[in-house]
Amino acid sequence: MLHQQKLRFSTTGRGTYNVTKQITEVVENSGIKNGICHIFIQHTSASLILCENADPTVREDLNRYMARLVKDGDGIFKHKDEGPDDMAAHIRTILTQSSLSIPIHKGKCDLGLWQGVFLWEHRTNSHKRNIAVTIMGE
Amino acid sequence: MVFQDTIKLAPQEKGATDITELISSIVQDAKIKTGTCQLFVHNSLSCLLINDTADESTKNQTADFLAQLAPSSDETTSIIDESMESIPEQMSAAITQSSVSFPVKNGKPLLGTWQGIYLWEKTSRPKHRKLTITIVGE
Repeated sequence: MLHQQKLRFSTTGRGTYNVTKQITEVVENSGIKNGICHIFIQHTSASLILCENADPTVREDLNRYMARLVKDGDGIFKHKDEGPDDMAAHIRTILTQSSLSIPIHKGKCDLGLWQGVFLWEHRTNSHKRNIAVTIMGE
Repeated sequence: MVFQDTIKLAPQEKGATDITELISSIVQDAKIKTGTCQLFVHNSLSCLLINDTADESTKNQTADFLAQLAPSSDETTSIIDESMESIPEQMSAAITQSSVSFPVKNGKPLLGTWQGIYLWEKTSRPKHRKLTITIVGE
């Protein structure tokens, strides 16, 4: 069995957005009991991560860590038509993930207790982001 | 249905080479309408990236940035042996991807408008690179 669906999210600037609930709903409504859920973000300046979901300061720290690792407006960047966060956003995307695969067990996403699926917006402005969810199994 | 093929890419110059068209044509010939496609590169001196296609400079700056984090043996003096993979390149392999996966819809890769698939060759002594493409779906 196979189910494919597109989800659309609005972001309000740089940061992480918990999309676990929306992904879980797609899996539960697909009727697939055992298999794999593949999630793909169709952008090069936003990405996907699996991250600790209990303490929001984890993701605040992650944001600070990434801001230190990849500096907006770094002097080595030439691609800056859309501002100092433009090239930094592409690199942040490469250092994280464009796709994630999660096992499905008994009709549910088999995530760890403290694991959440997060969309990480790397641009400082608001954007509309598409995520394609493909579920395969039986 | 499962489709699997192995391709051998001729040695490429150091840096990122756009392989989107090549991969798209294989996906279209596979005749799987809906599913996921995984690409895997069988060595650690090159990697696969999904990156911005709009500005030619983006891919080179991504490579430059990653090279700063984990310089290749060309940029350091730590070459152990020409025939051996050096430690810097192993570090680089750890922060990049040997595989990328993306959804397939209507028999084509479901990529975003500005997304392209790149093989990033990390050394200036490239070889033929073996890639396996696996498409699962129906």
